[in-house]
Amino acid sequence: MSEERGIITAHHVSKWYGQVIGLNDVTLAVPAGITGLLGPNGAGKSTFMKLVTGQLKPSQGQITVLGERIWQNPALYFRIGFCPEQDAFYERMTGLEWLTALVRLNGVGDRGAAEMAARALELVDLTAAAGKRIGAYSKGMRQRVKLAQALAHDPELLILDEPLAGMDPIARRKAIRLIRDWGRSGKSVVVSSHILHEIESMTSNILLINQGRILAEGNVHQIRDLIDEHPHTVYIKADETRALAREFLGAADVLSLKFEDQAVVIQTSRPDAFYARLTAYAASGEFGAIHEVTSPDDNLQAVFKYLVK
Amino acid sequence: MVAPPANRPTVVASALRIFDLSLGQMLWSRRSVFLAILVGGPVLLAAAIRLATILEHLFVHAGNNKQIGGVTLFGMMIWLLYVHVIVPVLGVFYGTALIADEVDDKTITYLFTRPIPRRAVLIGKYLSYLTCTILLVLPSVVAVYFLIVPINGGSVGRSFPLLLADLGMLAAGLIAYGAVFALVGARLKRPLVIGLVFAFGWEPGVLLVPGYLKRATVAYYLQALVPHQMPLDTTTIGILTQMFDRFPSITTSLAWLAAMTVSALWWASRAVEDREYVLEQ
Repeated sequence: MSEERGIITAHHVSKWYGQVIGLNDVTLAVPAGITGLLGPNGAGKSTFMKLVTGQLKPSQGQITVLGERIWQNPALYFRIGFCPEQDAFYERMTGLEWLTALVRLNGVGDRGAAEMAARALELVDLTAAAGKRIGAYSKGMRQRVKLAQALAHDPELLILDEPLAGMDPIARRKAIRLIRDWGRSGKSVVVSSHILHEIESMTSNILLINQGRILAEGNVHQIRDLIDEHPHTVYIKADETRALAREFLGAADVLSLKFEDQAVVIQTSRPDAFYARLTAYAASGEFGAIHEVTSPDDNLQAVFKYLVK
Repeated sequence: MVAPPANRPTVVASALRIFDLSLGQMLWSRRSVFLAILVGGPVLLAAAIRLATILEHLFVHAGNNKQIGGVTLFGMMIWLLYVHVIVPVLGVFYGTALIADEVDDKTITYLFTRPIPRRAVLIGKYLSYLTCTILLVLPSVVAVYFLIVPINGGSVGRSFPLLLADLGMLAAGLIAYGAVFALVGARLKRPLVIGLVFAFGWEPGVLLVPGYLKRATVAYYLQALVPHQMPLDTTTIGILTQMFDRFPSITTSLAWLAAMTVSALWWASRAVEDREYVLEQ
């Protein structure tokens, strides 16, 4: 792997958790713009994200972010916004209170922080819910408020760990557009996911990670073909799950369909077409609200198994 | 990008903002509700004693059959309930959880990825702990004072300086215990168990042992600040305690408590700065 000048550079970086390897001798340079970090769960994506956000210290090697070392360098967080994977909040605070409190930690005064927080909530379409307690937010709203706290202070580098997980199709489309616009405005984004389709909709610059190693980097079109050979599983929770399932049943790309509690789990051979159709259904409101869309990473696991053979 | 402020937030300014953020969380936590019930215990006890004396159904006597005054009874309650139980319990339960709670809730990430030193997080949360525990303990003590002191002719007005001294002593205890248990929480695994062993095993145990070991306890210095004369304790442990009952002066005690607090907080801050917090996914 190459190591040139980039917004993030890693030089022979390894991270162990006791006997377990989280990241194994990674050397890379992440260029400016939007970069997708793609890998199945447990591949080392979160370890990489935690290392580049200074939450963990490399066991070996060096990491720089925006040209500076990140570990024990809090001043760098003026320039970085981080959206973590975990669904964790101060549940009793409202979205606006929470964001304002976090922006204040950047040294912004009360009024300025409240304004920046309100602007960030507007960007993620949460203005109407700004005064509502986070504990009462839906899964998609929680994802969006988490995204808002990362971009509220207008950082030059956004680091997003699985930011679209659990968002409904419309929020997902808006979040993707927001991230793309962020990249177009000359800022950089590193976004992780286990769903190629999500990453592809934001960037073609991909880092493939598995078992703690970077397998490939750059514009990886072949991976796309491999992914398409494996069925893609989507879990959907909606008001009218059965009606939605009936609608999908007639589609040629739908390989299988089953119900789990209030949700339907669909396997499709063409994720692009599937997601486009799902977004259209969500926008039409024909099937009530679509609350949650997630994808297990079984299909990606199969591709990675093939890749590392 | 929003330019970094010309004057980056200092540790103190950052700590105050963390304090703002965490005080509400701490005050309305389940832990506070539970500990408020604990702190309410002495008030209920005091109310029961007062009611009993009013109804003349209960006479409180010391071992030598001499009737105990309200001020002495109040002093005993401060000593036995607050100094020996409530203050250490509050210190252990809040102090060891200052950072651990954020780690368990996985919200620590939001604080550690902001442009503030990590030690500001610890200090800010320590200030929240102090405010929270003082808000829990001091009203309880004042309520006990007004319920107990008038018993058997005690004067609330004349004894008021004693109340102030007690409040100061308890605040000093909360300050010192909080810092010590913040250190335990920041440095050690299973901090709650270790904290409880320290508070209810090491501290009372070592106080009975002659020699210098007792100087390694908070309780030793806290005892010197207790303004009350205790009634003569004729039990074996009481006699043993009184045999070695040589307490340092108030100034020395305050100086040692301050030194303990500052060094414990400094060491805890170092631990928080250096430690990697691996959150379970």
